[in-house]
Amino acid sequence: MLIRSLFVTGALCVAAQPGVAQETDCPVKVGVLHSLSGTMAISETTLKDVMEMLIEQQNEAGGVLGCDIEAVVVDPASDWPRFAELGRQLLTEDEVDVIFGSWTSVSRKSVLPVLEELNGLMFYPVQYEGEESSKNVFYTGAAPNQQAIPAVDYFLEELGIEKFALLGTDYVYPRTTNNILESYLQDKGIASEDIFVNYTPFGHSDWSTIVSDVVELGSDGSLVGVISTINGDANIGFYKELAAQGIDAADIPVVAFSVGEEELSGLDTSNLVGHLAAWNYFMSADTPENEEFIAAWHDFTGDENRVTNDPMEAHYIGFNMWVNAVEEAGTTDVDAVREAMWGQEFPNLTGGTAVMGTNHHLSKPVLIGEIREDGQFDIISETDPVPGDAWTDYLPDSAVLTSDWKELDCGMYNTRTETCVQQTSNY
Amino acid sequence: MADATLTGPATVPPIRRTSTMIFLAALAVFVLLVTLLADAGMISTSTVKLLGKTLCLALAAVAMDVVWGYTGILSLGHMAFFGLGGYAIGMWLMWARTEAIVLADMAARTLPPTPSELQDAIGSQIFGVVGTSDIPMIWTFAHSLPLQLAMVVLVPGLLALVFGWLAFRSRVAGVYLSILTQAMTLALSLYLFQNDSGLRGNNGLSGLQNIPGFETTSQATISIAFFWGSALALGLGYLLFAWVVSGRMGSVLRAVRDDEARVRFLGYHVESFKLFAFTLTAIVTGIAGALYYPQAGIINPNEIAPVASIYLAVWVAIGGRGRLYGAAIGAIVVSLLSNWFTSGGAPDIDLGIYEIRWTEWWLVLLGVSFICVTLFAPQGLGGLFDLLSARRRSGRRASYGPDTGAKRPEEGAE
Amino acid sequence: MLRLLLALAITLIVAPAAAQDDLQAILQTHAEEVANPGRRSVGALIDDLLASDLPSVPVFLDAWQDREVVRDSRDGRFFIAGDEEDGVVTLLDIANGDEIGTAPEAALEEVRPNGGVRRVIGGALVQFRLSDPDPRARQRALASIARRPDADQIDPLRASIEEEDDAGILAEKERLLNILVARFGATTEDRIAAIEALAGEINPDARAALSEILRTEDRVVPAGEATDGNVAGTLSLPRAEAYGRLVDAELAPPGVSPAEIRDTLLANVEAGAVAGTRLADLDTDTARHAAYERLSETGRAAPFVSDEEIDAAIAAHSFEAVFLEEDEAVIDAARATLGSVERQVALNRAADLGLDALSLASIYFLAAIGLAITFGVMGVINMAHGEFIMMGAYTGYVVQQFVPDYTLSLVIALPLAFIVAAAAGVAMERLVIRHLYHRPLETLLATFGISIALQQLAKNIFGTQARPLTSPDWLGGQLVVNELVSISYIRIAIFVLALAFLGLLLFILNRTRLGLEVRAVTQNPGMAASMGIDPDRINMMTFALGSGIAGIAGVAIGLYAQVTSEMGANYIVQSFMTVVVGGVGNVWGTLAGAGLIGVLQKLIEGMNPSNTLAAQTYMILFIILFIQFRPRGIVALRGRAAEG
Repeated sequence: MLIRSLFVTGALCVAAQPGVAQETDCPVKVGVLHSLSGTMAISETTLKDVMEMLIEQQNEAGGVLGCDIEAVVVDPASDWPRFAELGRQLLTEDEVDVIFGSWTSVSRKSVLPVLEELNGLMFYPVQYEGEESSKNVFYTGAAPNQQAIPAVDYFLEELGIEKFALLGTDYVYPRTTNNILESYLQDKGIASEDIFVNYTPFGHSDWSTIVSDVVELGSDGSLVGVISTINGDANIGFYKELAAQGIDAADIPVVAFSVGEEELSGLDTSNLVGHLAAWNYFMSADTPENEEFIAAWHDFTGDENRVTNDPMEAHYIGFNMWVNAVEEAGTTDVDAVREAMWGQEFPNLTGGTAVMGTNHHLSKPVLIGEIREDGQFDIISETDPVPGDAWTDYLPDSAVLTSDWKELDCGMYNTRTETCVQQTSNY
Repeated sequence: MADATLTGPATVPPIRRTSTMIFLAALAVFVLLVTLLADAGMISTSTVKLLGKTLCLALAAVAMDVVWGYTGILSLGHMAFFGLGGYAIGMWLMWARTEAIVLADMAARTLPPTPSELQDAIGSQIFGVVGTSDIPMIWTFAHSLPLQLAMVVLVPGLLALVFGWLAFRSRVAGVYLSILTQAMTLALSLYLFQNDSGLRGNNGLSGLQNIPGFETTSQATISIAFFWGSALALGLGYLLFAWVVSGRMGSVLRAVRDDEARVRFLGYHVESFKLFAFTLTAIVTGIAGALYYPQAGIINPNEIAPVASIYLAVWVAIGGRGRLYGAAIGAIVVSLLSNWFTSGGAPDIDLGIYEIRWTEWWLVLLGVSFICVTLFAPQGLGGLFDLLSARRRSGRRASYGPDTGAKRPEEGAE
Repeated sequence: MLRLLLALAITLIVAPAAAQDDLQAILQTHAEEVANPGRRSVGALIDDLLASDLPSVPVFLDAWQDREVVRDSRDGRFFIAGDEEDGVVTLLDIANGDEIGTAPEAALEEVRPNGGVRRVIGGALVQFRLSDPDPRARQRALASIARRPDADQIDPLRASIEEEDDAGILAEKERLLNILVARFGATTEDRIAAIEALAGEINPDARAALSEILRTEDRVVPAGEATDGNVAGTLSLPRAEAYGRLVDAELAPPGVSPAEIRDTLLANVEAGAVAGTRLADLDTDTARHAAYERLSETGRAAPFVSDEEIDAAIAAHSFEAVFLEEDEAVIDAARATLGSVERQVALNRAADLGLDALSLASIYFLAAIGLAITFGVMGVINMAHGEFIMMGAYTGYVVQQFVPDYTLSLVIALPLAFIVAAAAGVAMERLVIRHLYHRPLETLLATFGISIALQQLAKNIFGTQARPLTSPDWLGGQLVVNELVSISYIRIAIFVLALAFLGLLLFILNRTRLGLEVRAVTQNPGMAASMGIDPDRINMMTFALGSGIAGIAGVAIGLYAQVTSEMGANYIVQSFMTVVVGGVGNVWGTLAGAGLIGVLQKLIEGMNPSNTLAAQTYMILFIILFIQFRPRGIVALRGRAAEG
């Protein structure tokens, strides 16, 4: 009897999923799922702040659909299962219309099943390893072909690097990115013995041996370049060791994918001048939009020294696109908004226009910047907009896969067998 | 003292028997209440999941109490067993779910798949995340639920048996043993962090809340089912441990805690008793983990970092050592409070000059409360119940020694 | 062009020198390339510049390489940027560096050649700089040669040696000349002489030259047949790789993979069956293989290559590495020299790894020694020890905020960190630990509470972002023993600090009244108390000392790594293991523990350089096993003190 009633409630719950026909519900609720404590708070707190700022700005401009937007902020405390738990809470209890959140891949993978089960909508703002395209997520950060591949091209073409050291923190983003890069470099004719790969734990501090290994790589006179996917605090020890061993950017250039303005603010940058970073945004970009954004940010935080960075721009684009899509769809209903998102355009802070593809990835230009003395970047190279590729072309297993939610209604479509492998994503 | 002469040493002492009955009754009432409220829609699915997980933690805490509060081994590595149980069940969950997806995909093809094609497809689905498609050796049994369920018991049990045998044999005890167990869980978590470990490195196993075969069942139903399962496991585990710590066995365990050398001189094989307690609690902790992670949805090496095991010890300390119900209460109260504070449930306090935001201050509060509990209330929350029962009974008030944390005077009275 | 001329006429106040005009004209014809140079395309411009033979070319190249060139966006002309004042930049002549005017900053575009281009410019500058009066310019030129040795460089280098007067640079020039001659020399005798002169050179460029001479190329030849050229050796390749090379050389038909079988079968589906087998039955590899064989028999598929055929094809060929160098005498000389060089290199690398291990050990020692004192003397497990390390590091950071001079701030920070951490330690001892002396396991919990509270407090005060703690300049850089063995000064400083504390502790414990009392309390507190020693006071002093040292360790660690609220937590487990492995209650034990762990970790890392995490895992496993066999650590105390 009880069991049966349970099944009935279950069925009811499914029927009463959020996002179904609530056009007139005011206020419109936006969930913010960023860690405010724990190890990731260092990066994610800023994103919570920027979301609050964007929402405040939008409310001043009249909100959306005539409603005010209300931010529902929760703290998953860098605890991955908490992302799933709070994601469920946001969707079922707070009944938010959209979630902006997550930083690490594992936190995204944690909340993914919940989003797909409850048909929620999330914007994920950080560069990541790709190999995923969920119906319920829009990826506003860079896929590997929007950050890693152009940076390696720059190393090969412009700097003439002959040997590569791929240094990373031991987790999925560096692992997958380095896999892709290894296979890309081999395609480009770099022998596998000329590629040195090393993984270190989070917060690693003893870099002397690894840096010596990298130097040794160049002992035959080849030019060595370091592709760094080192995450967070460990970078500080790494760059200090480079400086201590007297290696400057002219000897061994380092291009980092996880070092931005925010990370550099914890460092004495005088020894890092000339090293590189690849992003889709740099605070030093010289456009009126960016100037306005930075001014608003300083105004909002009341701190003239707060820097802006790439994931913040991703949220800026994502949020504005979402607002426009909601206005276009005339509702906050997830399915309608998703369809309205395809092809949304919004100006980048660095100039040009970002376009949301039907594979839920953005098309954005890739910038390469050189670290300056003041902790900012000199933009030394900018590509044309690159459409984000959910499934990389450089790994045999994923080369045959593609994602297109508009035409194929599938995020993992096998072009060889012409079947949709699965509708849900691979978590 | 009078009671002890009446009931005899071999039977269950009445205080423990009553406390067990009360605990089980309270648990049953709680389960019914939650089920009814959830049925009426007054408790959300995420809350049911949270409560279910909390019951699993309570079971782990009860096991921890047996090994620490009763046997005197402060293990700072029990969450490793918890995690191993979770990994064992997670492997089957991932495999079965992926197999269903792959079969559905391949059924549409002209050529029926060969077994090796099937394996490759499953491999690349599961391990694509870590950039490989080879299926590691440790996944050999992942296709079979019964075998993987056996793993839930065997893997933590064997690890505890080997580790305990080595450690107890060479008489590593006290603080040294604590550090050694901590080293064990650290080594295990570092190992699992590596991508080459075969368990998907830092990403761990995810999507565990989707139970294969129940794809169409709503999470509301699944969460209630797991809640019941967790409650049942807690109830059974509690009974098992109540039985273990009562009677002869319990007396020897407590004697080992209080003076190991003396017990050895009395002719008992101390190492065997310790090994028994260590291994049995490890197995139960593993089962608790196997029930926990399908509710949490994801397991990754972070879950078995040394700090998790320290928290387990802290729950037991706050709840009150040497009382099974104390450990359960400690785990439930602290983890629920922790949840409430970090999810923004607690209102911020505006002091005018400074606003106390609980997401920032909760850990400070928690830390200070550990200190206070150890200093001022070594008997923990469970001590409150002692006060109640002490009013009805006149017992020996004399101290049995400096270790006021454990419940020695009361035990002596039994 | 007209506009350009007009602009020239208008903007030039100073009469243009002829040379400057020519140089500017060359630049203007390549204006885009100058402003946005690319590594591959810049060659044409540099050739033009060098061909012009203008004396002003090196001046311009220098400025260009140093990113001092600007372009006036109003007329497109290039200048060297001088000082800037109130948004107005002084412009210097590209030909001779004379001041020739000013321009508003907004009108100037910076020309920023990237690293690759600057290297090309450096190469072009070599010929001008080899005899430059400035020794630093000569060194830069030599560095360029070392980076890209080239046959053309032999003559200018040899010419410049005669007039070299700096002994150091002369030696370097001769060394480089040897390297160049060894690779590109005209006669065999010259080359062999040069190669032999390279013996004992462990410099990377010398080794590179030798390995360049010994570079080989892989060839496939039918078994038993001799190849022309100098064979370096036969390769034994894995089966798949070997067959792949045969296929690449078109010496064998390509193998048929399971995927190809599947595709071929799919292409030959006829009425729900392939070659007579129903589709539904093709669900095993054997069934598919049989169907494929039938297809290939009827010529509808390429013949299947069986394992036996693959093995036979491999056996019929040999895979050889052949030297690209043709002169056999040169090869022999290079091989002999490289062999001896490589032995030296191996020794030196071992020495370098040893230094790294020593440095790691001294860091562990510093982090753990404070713990060893409190743990050893009082039997107290202090989980908050890591947070004292953190406190020290943050003290260093705060001091640097007020004292901008890094040396002075370090001098202030070290004692201050000691005082801050010691005060915190005493407070903790008085308020908490004192009450828990007989309950070591509960001390563990209480101090864990302190640890998480302090960590969170640090987060609330300093934020979650890592904070900079910058070492003074004299601690920057490294001590270079030779090309392979080097160690940074900051690590030497930490090593010295560790030694100093070792000495200080030994002195305090063995030579002072306090030490005597501490030892007495360690061995028997009751007896010590009855002899008139106040154990309470001793415990407090010990705790102050132990915590204070942790504070100093914090400053040291912060200087070479990161200052975050979690830095202490990263060291706490390691520190405990150091103490336990070494043996509790003994300074020498901690030293031995730190030494063992440091050396072992580097050794494991050295064996598997690509996975630091694995090294740490095996390290801990080793410790667990080690404690099984020596439960009391390396240096075990005897007697009553050993019971705990």
